[in-house]
Amino acid sequence: MKRRLFLASTISSALAACSPIGTALNNNDAFHHLIGSAQGLNHLLIGTRGLAREYPLSAIDRNFRVNGLPTPDDATYESYVADRFASYRLVVDGAVERKHAYSLPALRAMPQVTQITRHDCVEGWSAIGEWSGVRLSDVLAAAHPRADARYVVFHCMDRDDQGTPYYESLDLKEAYHPQTLLSLRLNGSDLDPDHGAPVRLRVPTQLGYKSAKWVKRIEVVGSFSNLYGGKGGYWEDQGYEWYAGI
Amino acid sequence: MERLPGTKVYRYAVLTRVSHWFWVIAFAALVSSGLQIFNAAPYLDASDKSNPARRVLSIDSPADGVGTTTIFGRTFTTTGWLGWTDDGMGGRTARAFPGWITIPAYQDLADGRRWHLFFAWIAASCWLAWLVSSAIKGNLREMVLRPSDLPKLWPMQAYYLRLRKEPPAHGTYNPLQKLAYTVVAFVLAPMIVLTGLALSPGIDAIAQPLTWLLGGRQFARLWHFVAMLGLLGFFVVHTFQVATQGLLNQMRSMITGWYRLGDHDGVGP
Repeated sequence: MKRRLFLASTISSALAACSPIGTALNNNDAFHHLIGSAQGLNHLLIGTRGLAREYPLSAIDRNFRVNGLPTPDDATYESYVADRFASYRLVVDGAVERKHAYSLPALRAMPQVTQITRHDCVEGWSAIGEWSGVRLSDVLAAAHPRADARYVVFHCMDRDDQGTPYYESLDLKEAYHPQTLLSLRLNGSDLDPDHGAPVRLRVPTQLGYKSAKWVKRIEVVGSFSNLYGGKGGYWEDQGYEWYAGI
Repeated sequence: MERLPGTKVYRYAVLTRVSHWFWVIAFAALVSSGLQIFNAAPYLDASDKSNPARRVLSIDSPADGVGTTTIFGRTFTTTGWLGWTDDGMGGRTARAFPGWITIPAYQDLADGRRWHLFFAWIAASCWLAWLVSSAIKGNLREMVLRPSDLPKLWPMQAYYLRLRKEPPAHGTYNPLQKLAYTVVAFVLAPMIVLTGLALSPGIDAIAQPLTWLLGGRQFARLWHFVAMLGLLGFFVVHTFQVATQGLLNQMRSMITGWYRLGDHDGVGP
């Protein structure tokens, strides 16, 4: 009986010790760096291969869940909404031979593709939507990235409470993936402000935070280490993995 | 290969012992960080996309100061334990699993994932290394449940329940141990790895049939949770058995490798 009591108290104290020990280790820079090392391995092994599953029309979520930040509370964005994005331009610049500034009608005049794919949020939930728009690869091909181009950065129109703007980035392989879209429509209608109007990036092979909303500028770069927090994205700067295929 | 009770035998190779203890650490880290990740979407659906109509489990806080857990549509009040509980910073908040059981203690999905995706490699490597070396050395043979063990399962259970004086004759492991080890090593371990992989959108793009076979991505999340509960159940029974069936001998054998045979222990399959 004494032994069982001893055992029960040992097991419970061992269990109760996990969280405080783990929390203390989490605050240790060397350990935190060590456990981050799996990220490179995951990117190397999984990477960008294959195609995301495409679904039939019947699978669509008609009220597609709104993820991330709400509609930008920003005078410029509000003026775009007021004039139905007539003055909006999608700028493509950086390490490219030919810079572009696309109006919304110009994007609509490009070849359009449609995909019904699942959006997997980092929180754990999933929703299915029908996305239509322009292949990012078409826009990049028109811009002719220079030889030093490595990543494509998406600058967005929303900011958090501290005024930090949202941005995201993809490597060229993911950017040229045939399912990586600059989507203009969701479930048969033009994107509404909550879902990222007028242009939302759509990356079905990675988690939802990669699919940046309210994109205003696409910047091709050799490195993103001098941008904002240097980790290649708004959530990445807050500790989330840059490679979000897992 | 008959050996007398009291004889010391070298039962566990270095690789088995090292991988065992690394696995213990990795399992603790994976459960704690996994519950942290679960907290970001505290529900499980038997479906591909999220679908409240097929919700199997959800942990909610319908009002300040109230926590509830709903399993198969039946709701239980779990205030203080699940739904409304320890926020990991000395207070209470709307949160599925309490801070004292998650890593980090406070809500932090990014770091929870960082832990989980690192220790998943440790746990999977330990399992694979042990499996391959045991298979090569032939030790798996004495551990795997065979058809001839099936009739011995109940007599062994009856012995544990003190309904029977003697256990059925057995080798290194008794029939119930073989059952438990076989289920853990060949059912739960592969299941938790595959269901975890199926959650990755990158892997889903490479191996679409995997997620599909599991019933979809949310269903894979549910299976992953079920496999965790299975392993947790094994952990509880395993530690109880170790503690009650000669704690010092058992602990020594998993540290030094040397095990002292008991009255009913044999050697071999």
